[in-house]
Amino acid sequence: MATTATRGWLGVGIVGVALLAALPFFANPYLVATGLTLLMWLALTQSWCVLSKMTGYVSLGHVVFYGIGAYLVVITWQSWPLPLAIAAAGALAALFAVVIGLPVLRVRGPYFVILTFGIAELVKYSILAGEAASGTASRILFGAPDLLVIYFAMFALAAAATLLLVLVSRSRFGQGLRSLRENEEAAETLGVPVVRYKLLAFVLSAAIPGMVGAVMALRSTYFVVGQVFDPMISVTVIAMALLGGGDDARGPILGTLFLFILSEVLWVRAPLAYMLILGAVLAGFVLLAPGGILGIVDSLRARRVRSA
Amino acid sequence: MSANAVPLLEVRDLGKRFGGLTALSGVSFSVAAGETVGVMGANGAGKTTLFSLIAGNARPSSGTITLDGRRIDGLSPDRICRLGVARTFQIVKPFPGLTVLENLRTAAMFGRVALADRGRADRHAMAVLDEIGMIELASAPAATLTLAGQKRLEVARAIATGARIVLLDEVMAGLTATEVAQMLETLRRMRDSRGLTLIVIEHVMQALMKLCARIVVLHHGERIAEGTPEAIGRDERVLSVYFGAAAA
Repeated sequence: MATTATRGWLGVGIVGVALLAALPFFANPYLVATGLTLLMWLALTQSWCVLSKMTGYVSLGHVVFYGIGAYLVVITWQSWPLPLAIAAAGALAALFAVVIGLPVLRVRGPYFVILTFGIAELVKYSILAGEAASGTASRILFGAPDLLVIYFAMFALAAAATLLLVLVSRSRFGQGLRSLRENEEAAETLGVPVVRYKLLAFVLSAAIPGMVGAVMALRSTYFVVGQVFDPMISVTVIAMALLGGGDDARGPILGTLFLFILSEVLWVRAPLAYMLILGAVLAGFVLLAPGGILGIVDSLRARRVRSA
Repeated sequence: MSANAVPLLEVRDLGKRFGGLTALSGVSFSVAAGETVGVMGANGAGKTTLFSLIAGNARPSSGTITLDGRRIDGLSPDRICRLGVARTFQIVKPFPGLTVLENLRTAAMFGRVALADRGRADRHAMAVLDEIGMIELASAPAATLTLAGQKRLEVARAIATGARIVLLDEVMAGLTATEVAQMLETLRRMRDSRGLTLIVIEHVMQALMKLCARIVVLHHGERIAEGTPEAIGRDERVLSVYFGAAAA
């Protein structure tokens, strides 16, 4: 039974990957740009889950890594080669996670949520102040690469983030993370090196968002600090992860697709009621299906198995 | 235990202060390999604090803890576990969202046995579950177990680490008489089959008497007596602490 289910997921995955890889060759630029946004959310949500779904430490400030990555590309614009700048953006985001990780990961629950949000805002306003002082509050990037290049860079990042969560979820490391999520003191007493594991999860979940921010900075060509550090990015990622459910790579795929398509449709069909309906859907899920889409799928399958 | 053998675990002059409160002071005792030692004392006597210090959940304020001739005081709980000391928690701490088998998988993967491969870890875990009589609960979420079940899970998980010393913190408290008898039987059997060294905190006196060859009595954080269960039952200081001065 488990193997047919796994094979089913694998099949859906292969079709999806093929579709997204072929998209730029048959679709118009609008659709390609839409696909790019979808891939961006997928990469961010998978990365976020490596920390927050696996360990239960809910980060409300993941945009900080995205923003740092974007900012690095902007300030090194036309002085560093792009691939180097993008890789450096990932490294810088990871380094930032190391620096803030040890103190931040000492607190749990709502304190961690608020602290991560606060740090993201702090970084945003620090950079804003710096930019204002140097008179460069907004910048235009000339000579950004073609949409196709950006699209495939993002495709690679989304694939990498998905692979990362698959690997983490199945590994001994993932077993340790789940255990500390369920009870940190018990996990530690059973031999899980919790301090090291939490920090490693934090760093792993930061690197790809840094590179995603770097790539997206190329897309907008016009850089505004408030935009790349927008807290709504953090919130949207959490919403997508919650809607997807579970703690492996399937949840973020389902959640990202669902919320992304829903908001695209609503935006076109019901621009006035857009936020109202989106809010209602989110509230409905949290109240009625806290396990997300994956929870619904799994319980349906369990029912079918029982009745068969 | 011969006089010149190195004890498996040795606690010397152990003390713990929480701010102005002294939870434990100047406690010394040693445990030989294969021995079962009981720890008794009234609420607040420092029993659980003693376990927390040995297992690394808290740092001693003074004194030393030696495992097989090696200092372990001040090490982190995960390192102490890998060295072969496991503990259970008086207030059970299962991984509620994971199944019983997954609970033990963590112990097998990260404890002293360190079975990194999931298949091998699971086989090891299933053997422990079989021996403790929980095999039919392997795929049940830990949150669905009864209190007796969760206490058993605590014990199973600690043993599944491959520990040489298991610290059992009131694993029989709150159980019915039948459940206590079952737990006693299980503990004795697993101790003998695996050559475990046990240190047992228990309020169920009868259980302590049946399981332990030696008992250490704590009172207000100090060791006031140590000896065989019979000797402890006659000890004047113990009697006066438990039943008041008139009994002594």
